[in-house]
Amino acid sequence: MSATPLLELRGIDKSFGPVQVLRNVDFSVTAGEVTALVGDNGAGKSTLVKCISGIYSIDSGEIVFDGRPVRINSPRDAAALGIEVVYQDLALCDNLDIVQNMFLGREKRSGLVLDEPTMEQMAAETLAGLSVRTVKSLRQHVSSLSGGQRQTVAIAKAVLWNSRVVILDEPTAALGVAQTAQVLELVRRLADNGLAVVLISHNMNDVFAVSDQIAMLYLGQMVAQLRTSEVTHAQVVELITAGRSGGLGLSGDNGDGANGTGTSGADRHDTPPTATTEPGVDR
Amino acid sequence: MRAGPSQEEIRRQNLGALLRYVHVHGATSRAELTSALGLNRSTIGALTAELAAARLVSERAPRETGRAGRPSLVVRPESARVFAYAYSIESDRLRAARVGLGGVVLDRRQAARPPGAPPLECLPLLAGLRKEMHQSVAEDAIHVGSGVAVSGRPRRPDAAGRQSPGPVPDRPDRDAVDDGGGSGSEAALEVALGEVLSPDRPILVSNAADASVVAEHVRGAAVGCDTVIYLHQDGGIEAGIIVHGQRLTGRGGHAGEVGHMVVQPGGRPCRCGSSGCWETEISEHALLHAAGRGGSAGRDATLRVIDAASWGDAGAQAAVRQVGDWLGFGVANLVNIFNPDAIIFGGTLREVYLAAAARVRSRLNVMALPAAREQVRLRTPQLGEDAVLIGAAELAFGPLLADPLDR
Repeated sequence: MSATPLLELRGIDKSFGPVQVLRNVDFSVTAGEVTALVGDNGAGKSTLVKCISGIYSIDSGEIVFDGRPVRINSPRDAAALGIEVVYQDLALCDNLDIVQNMFLGREKRSGLVLDEPTMEQMAAETLAGLSVRTVKSLRQHVSSLSGGQRQTVAIAKAVLWNSRVVILDEPTAALGVAQTAQVLELVRRLADNGLAVVLISHNMNDVFAVSDQIAMLYLGQMVAQLRTSEVTHAQVVELITAGRSGGLGLSGDNGDGANGTGTSGADRHDTPPTATTEPGVDR
Repeated sequence: MRAGPSQEEIRRQNLGALLRYVHVHGATSRAELTSALGLNRSTIGALTAELAAARLVSERAPRETGRAGRPSLVVRPESARVFAYAYSIESDRLRAARVGLGGVVLDRRQAARPPGAPPLECLPLLAGLRKEMHQSVAEDAIHVGSGVAVSGRPRRPDAAGRQSPGPVPDRPDRDAVDDGGGSGSEAALEVALGEVLSPDRPILVSNAADASVVAEHVRGAAVGCDTVIYLHQDGGIEAGIIVHGQRLTGRGGHAGEVGHMVVQPGGRPCRCGSSGCWETEISEHALLHAAGRGGSAGRDATLRVIDAASWGDAGAQAAVRQVGDWLGFGVANLVNIFNPDAIIFGGTLREVYLAAAARVRSRLNVMALPAAREQVRLRTPQLGEDAVLIGAAELAFGPLLADPLDR
């Protein structure tokens, strides 16, 4: 487990016209860990993700990737850094098979023709690396897959490109119990394989089942980012619905003033006291 | 002063180390083996040649590496040829598999366990599954031995004098696996298993949780972990525990009965004769009871409650929360005692954990000591339901890996 974050956002502001959607948001993601991003509807989760993935540009603030400051102005910039997003609607093509979907728009060529054997092999290796056993044939059309299998293909597509940060937007929404379990295990395995994973979810069981850290947004402010081992369900719910819980989160009058996040910054545990004392836990 | 090991002993040990390495890590180039085992290239070459002559491994040139120089040969375990039979006797079904060297499941069969049938009566069924699988075995295949995992069995076949917990009064079909009631019938089962399933090869009998923890430790969610606890639920709750890389069995092989850790003095009566055991609060039975479905039993009924909870059934949700709370309570105790790297939730506990993770984690975070809880990973089995079969096969491969050419 590396103690320094792979991706770090500092003091991000974002407004749409008169509406300030993100206020002085700090957020960090570590390789080998699942960082859950939670918050009520409209708290700014999606906006934050779109800032990371280059769909929106930030008004102010700093993005540090792998120790150096970077600018992400377009999705292409994000992809070049190895940041991939799996959106809720998955964006898979029903009329194409699994391999075609995984390489859509980025097909491998040998000379003038598509290099089908290489693509098929890469797809198979990626799925095997994720211990995916539910997919029978790689040449199966996506339309014939179940919800959980589609999610699996979408996630595999995101990790195919040596990506380093994978952001998953509600990957278990609309799945049954058995498929949710498979997708959660897949999410955990991505991190155990060394990727930095961001999980957006409303389901607290999913969040607690697989995350190492939980980042909580409340009305556009990051009220706390804590290790999953030092927070309870009740505290998380309080933080995302009221912005504070006991000594955690925002202080004073809910931070309606622009400087409300000042104290929350002091309460945050980006680098928990344990991160340095912990023996080298191998993943 | 003891004389150093003879050359023969060293050679045997190195053969075992090499075979174990490719068994665990899969196809490996000679160059990687050289650095991983700390032996020189010519030794690796000679050892590989011996193992290849015994048809335990094969060597092939790798695919194009795209780099200059002659590529190092890749050593692979002969998974399709060298195999062990693995059996699992569970509360409601019997499973058998043919597992190749390297942990590959080559073939598998399954049968329902007749309700209430003691393990001895299941043997003909298992023998039938074996026979079916045996028909497709190639002439030149090498059969190493067999491993059996039984739900609710002690750790070592020679364990004597155990007072097995009696049956649950209101669910008589539940734990026929435990009905042995003492060393006599246990020993009889061992002997019978050997006679019926593996007359010509060694057979190793283990407990389901133990077999699973071995599999997950070798090639699953707990690879590289020093201390691991695998909680297994198949009717009762038991744990397979690995401490410092070694299985923890206790003196007589009875360690790991975490289901009988008392969490609520004066609580509900347990099948072991005590009351308030952890099992009475987190078992399938407890979940079904809390959900007001005390009449049903078994894995499917349990999954139906969890499914109902996910669709918003208030009664089911409350039951899952309550059981999750108790699950976290016991896990916190285990974390404080063992300081494990990982806790793995297997059997139906996988579904219970995933459905109630917020409760389990919250309880753990409140109760467990910070030093122990910060690094513990809560996981579900990476090998899924195969863990128990792969673990049983792992036991069967043990003698081969210790001394590959002694057959």
